[in-house]
Amino acid sequence: MSETDVFDVEQLNIQNGIALGRVLGSGKIEEAQEGPDGTMTGTIRIPEDELVYEPGVLVMPHAGKIELTIINDDKNTHCAVMPSNGDTQFLWLVNHSKGTATLELDGPGYYWYGSTTGNDEGRGLTGAIVVGGDVPPEAQLDRPPQPRPTV
Amino acid sequence: MATEEYVDAGAAVPYATLSVQVGKAPPVTKGLTHERIINARDEPDNWLTYYGAYDGQRYSSLDQINKENVGKLTPQWVFQAGSMGLHSGASTYAWEASPIIVDGVMFVSGWDGQLWAIDAANGKELWRYKHASPFDVSLCCGNVNRGVAVADGLVFMVTLNAHIIALDAQTGKKVWDQTYGDVRAGESATVAPLVVKDMVIVGSSGGEFGSRGHTDAFKLETGERVWRCYMIPKPGEPGSETWPEDSDAWQRGGGNCWVTPTYDPELNLLYYGTGNPCPDFDGAVREGDNLFTDSGVAVDADTGEIKSHFQYTPHDLWDYDSTMEHILFDLDGQKLAAHFDKNGYLYILDRTNMDPVRVVPFVDRIDWGEVDEKGNATPLRYPDKEGDPVHFWPGPAGAKEWTHAAYSPQTELLYCPVQDVGATATRRRREFIESIPYWGAGVAVDADDIAGSISAYDPRTGAEKWRWRRDLPMCSSVLATGGGLVFAGEPSGEFNALDAESGDHLWAFQCGSGHHSSPSTYSVDGKQYIVAPSGWGGWAEGFLPKMLGSSHGSALFAFALPD
Repeated sequence: MSETDVFDVEQLNIQNGIALGRVLGSGKIEEAQEGPDGTMTGTIRIPEDELVYEPGVLVMPHAGKIELTIINDDKNTHCAVMPSNGDTQFLWLVNHSKGTATLELDGPGYYWYGSTTGNDEGRGLTGAIVVGGDVPPEAQLDRPPQPRPTV
Repeated sequence: MATEEYVDAGAAVPYATLSVQVGKAPPVTKGLTHERIINARDEPDNWLTYYGAYDGQRYSSLDQINKENVGKLTPQWVFQAGSMGLHSGASTYAWEASPIIVDGVMFVSGWDGQLWAIDAANGKELWRYKHASPFDVSLCCGNVNRGVAVADGLVFMVTLNAHIIALDAQTGKKVWDQTYGDVRAGESATVAPLVVKDMVIVGSSGGEFGSRGHTDAFKLETGERVWRCYMIPKPGEPGSETWPEDSDAWQRGGGNCWVTPTYDPELNLLYYGTGNPCPDFDGAVREGDNLFTDSGVAVDADTGEIKSHFQYTPHDLWDYDSTMEHILFDLDGQKLAAHFDKNGYLYILDRTNMDPVRVVPFVDRIDWGEVDEKGNATPLRYPDKEGDPVHFWPGPAGAKEWTHAAYSPQTELLYCPVQDVGATATRRRREFIESIPYWGAGVAVDADDIAGSISAYDPRTGAEKWRWRRDLPMCSSVLATGGGLVFAGEPSGEFNALDAESGDHLWAFQCGSGHHSSPSTYSVDGKQYIVAPSGWGGWAEGFLPKMLGSSHGSALFAFALPD
């Protein structure tokens, strides 16, 4: 492999490219949909032979419940083990299957989830859910606004 | 993409359903009232509150396990927590809790929002709760939680992202949830809640991120906020004269309450230890004594009003939090509080007004400054000039960390886990930016020339009565029992029993990972158990970098005598 190949970013985003798996944190970014009642929804897919969740990062605009549809379009079996207040949620996903998960996340912050079979997580089947927004006013410190990071 | 209809994978299920957990606990906390907690020592079979009782003595009158038979102590069961997936503090999690036991049911928190109800006789998991904690939450000192509180059919726990939650003690299902800290301001929560009257009381973490420390009280039944007390006064409030005028320093002054207070029901006072001022090591941006940081603060339990205080390290430049407990006891007609401070001195206070009665050093090496018998501090060595390294003892983890001492009314002695560790700090000024660590120095804690001990002190004189010397600093809470014993875990994994009168070493068991937690004792069906969480981690680079490479572990050991 030439030095030029080493810096081909695309080769980081495929299975058995520069690395063995796909480097975590890559993939598409999408925003969850919010209904009139505040319930959020989203769809996550596992594409064939890519060993990733798409989108790789799903953004919830604020804390609350999200109803996910999770589709395994791969020709191998995976799962999704996802964070939720109360208990971690587990969904087994045989080849070409579709299921749902309802999660309660009280961010702000972000949460990883993954497929806990073999080393799916290491190969690339580790996704992130980002929760935006602020904590309620009554939980904030009684002080003037403070400088925040700009980089 | 394939076109045929998808196989129905159904809906995701709670992970606990894929385990042998029972799913329900007996209703042991129904009828567990404030009055029962006041009289906790009258029911030694249970460990009803964080320190075992409001007084913080960490003493149980149980005496089935005693000096004569402790050598036969053996593990009865082990509960393993493990770690799964990518979670915050993936390399710094530690088991720091003190298990609560009520009529044979144990309620214990792990790290990362984990809480279990366990059959205290056999270690069987009854139910679990898992709070989803953000991966990116600010944690100065690791992914840890120090325990839970129980009352009126509920279990209370704080979460890393600064929520206080109430769970049904029979099922583990959430009853209410309140946010009481701002994760965007670098706040988090690790404290074990305390139930007082009809309230549950918590405190904030985040002193290394320039927060403004506070403690909050919520109604047990509903989660409605009762009061909030800030430990850094606003301009014009009492204590504000100890902060520079026309400065923003108070807004990020620290003084967090990340350790559970003790409580005197007769005086109706909560005794808090407060955290370091911020930035930790750069005092030039916060001239003055910086009240109420590094203080013992007596707070009215009904109103949250500060009634009196004593500041151990005015204008701290060494990260000497005073968050560690105030042990309440009466001696010779005096209402006293004992406090082992990070700065290396043992303070015996009159807890009616927080005036010092006696002040003595309790560690061999102290050179940051001197404290006289009245508690007046004179700084001697501190980071002052930019870029100039300064070594001092004790280091920022202190001569005693947050882990707790004990007092035995049987021997009338205090027992302290002692750390003799220095550090070098080099002042490096930086601007404050919300959520970014705000230390004002580079710090390296000594990995060599260190020592530790479990040491016993007479509170009447301050004299050291005995010392069990170790090569490593001791950084796990001590437990004293009516069997004439003192139990203490070591960073290297041994869990030990000592003779409370002589300090003689009587028994040890290697738990496989270091201790940085608070053991409890209880009895089920006439059998006494000692329970010790073992799981090394946390802020090891701060209190014991020599052990940074030790295995994490995640086991809860219950010991008893053979049948």
